[in-house]
Amino acid sequence: MKIGGTRRMTLAAIAIAGAVAFVALGLTPAQLVPGRGGLDVLSSFFARALSPAVAYESSVPEGTAPIVVKAIQASLRTVTFAVAGMSLALLLGVLFAIPSSQSWWQGGRPRRALGTAAWGASRTVIMLMRSVHELLWAVLFLAAFGLTPFSAVIAIAIPYGGTLAKIFSEMIDEAPRNSAEALRAAGASPLQIFFFGLVPRALPDMSAYAFYRFECAVRASAVLGFFGFETLGYYIRGSFDNLHYGEVWTYLYALVLLVVAIDVWSGALRRRFVA
Amino acid sequence: MSFVTLPKSSASSAEGAAPAPAHLELRGVTHSYNGHAAVEAATLEVRSGEAVALVGPSGAGKTTLLRLMNGTLRPSVGTVVVDGRTLGDLSENELRRVRAHIGFIHQDLDLVPNLRVSQNVLAGKLGRLSFFQSLRAMLMPARADLELAHRILERVGIAEKLFERTDTLSGGEQQRVAIARALFQEPTALLADEPVSSVDPARARDTVALLTSISRERGLTLVMSLHNLELAREFFPRLIGLREGRILFDQAAAQVTDAQFHQLYDLK
Repeated sequence: MKIGGTRRMTLAAIAIAGAVAFVALGLTPAQLVPGRGGLDVLSSFFARALSPAVAYESSVPEGTAPIVVKAIQASLRTVTFAVAGMSLALLLGVLFAIPSSQSWWQGGRPRRALGTAAWGASRTVIMLMRSVHELLWAVLFLAAFGLTPFSAVIAIAIPYGGTLAKIFSEMIDEAPRNSAEALRAAGASPLQIFFFGLVPRALPDMSAYAFYRFECAVRASAVLGFFGFETLGYYIRGSFDNLHYGEVWTYLYALVLLVVAIDVWSGALRRRFVA
Repeated sequence: MSFVTLPKSSASSAEGAAPAPAHLELRGVTHSYNGHAAVEAATLEVRSGEAVALVGPSGAGKTTLLRLMNGTLRPSVGTVVVDGRTLGDLSENELRRVRAHIGFIHQDLDLVPNLRVSQNVLAGKLGRLSFFQSLRAMLMPARADLELAHRILERVGIAEKLFERTDTLSGGEQQRVAIARALFQEPTALLADEPVSSVDPARARDTVALLTSISRERGLTLVMSLHNLELAREFFPRLIGLREGRILFDQAAAQVTDAQFHQLYDLK
């Protein structure tokens, strides 16, 4: 009875919060009807959905690679940015996941007070890393380093590293503890118990999550193109600004194919190594 | 982190002069969880090389008693003595060394399901390796260690599973992995907690027979908790009856009377 009451209260609170937000923003269905100009853009944009450009829609300088080749190159560059960002993020994620997990500081380790302080410090650092979105980090690093690939790579690596660290540490803390207990009974040290009894139990979930974040990193890398990095977003924006909607669709389809390809690949890897 | 030095592979010592089987002693031991005594005023001695069965209904304190014997639990009152050393006087590191020499077969096996059988078996010896040695043993095991693991798996009847993923094995096979892990420790005693609860009844007898014969041929002290009285009587010369945390009887299996068994399981 009491639980049911709490649940009803929670659901009601969520509904009220949604309604308040709509009212505060002044959202009305009428706003979803586009104006005349908007309707023209929409219709000419979607008109090309099934006929993406196979050639440039305006004259290009002599020797420019065909658009399909350009789309492939941009896709590869998008993946390259994502791979570089994700490699750093994984390194940061693993490095910070360890001191951010409570299990690391448990079990016979002396100086417990110091452990609590170090755990809190580590949690704070990863919280700061992921509380700023990758696009905002990009703005910051563009100002600091200019339009170098490194700006995009660390803009991805920092928030992703923080997120990976948080999720990894929670997965380690929630992993079944029975194998760890068995190793303790066989005389293993706290360090051995952590790495050989606890982490392996969390590893399947950790790698599944890392694959998912890689997919996100590819999308983030594409969007970072809007800032001028030569990923798919760079070309999407350029073609869109020039009203070359056929080209936009070519690049969009490249992005979709990329995400599908990664999904298929990561699924195959997971079946082989994890599930 | 401790750096216990070991020869590059310890496989050879398996055939070398074995250390004496462990001698285990509980003196007036009480262990309480949240004010409730799981084991109360238990005094018993398991002599070097002896095979003893702990019998009694579930919840009688058999698991607690076994965990007290290898020092994973500390008694609230009383002392536990292993090979003449009082566990309560030992530092955490010394205690780890004692545990490293006692093989424990857990009721739920507690293997790492997504590691290979070889890795689970080799994990048995972590207690004697430094952290860097154990990294190597788990990731790039020495040939001699794999050969020893293979020989042990052969003895328990699943040698061909050495490189399989552990969770692809049947329950009975996984239990043999757990036994192999305990044997890879090169223990001086085996403590087995209800080893037949995870296999079907037909396999139960085989498992008890395997553990008792291995303990005999390797000269290990064996303490096994069992609630199957027939198996306990058939394979163990000495039975210790537990009920509600107290030792009801401790005597030769042949002398345990039906009345005593009834008393053990009699529900109030």
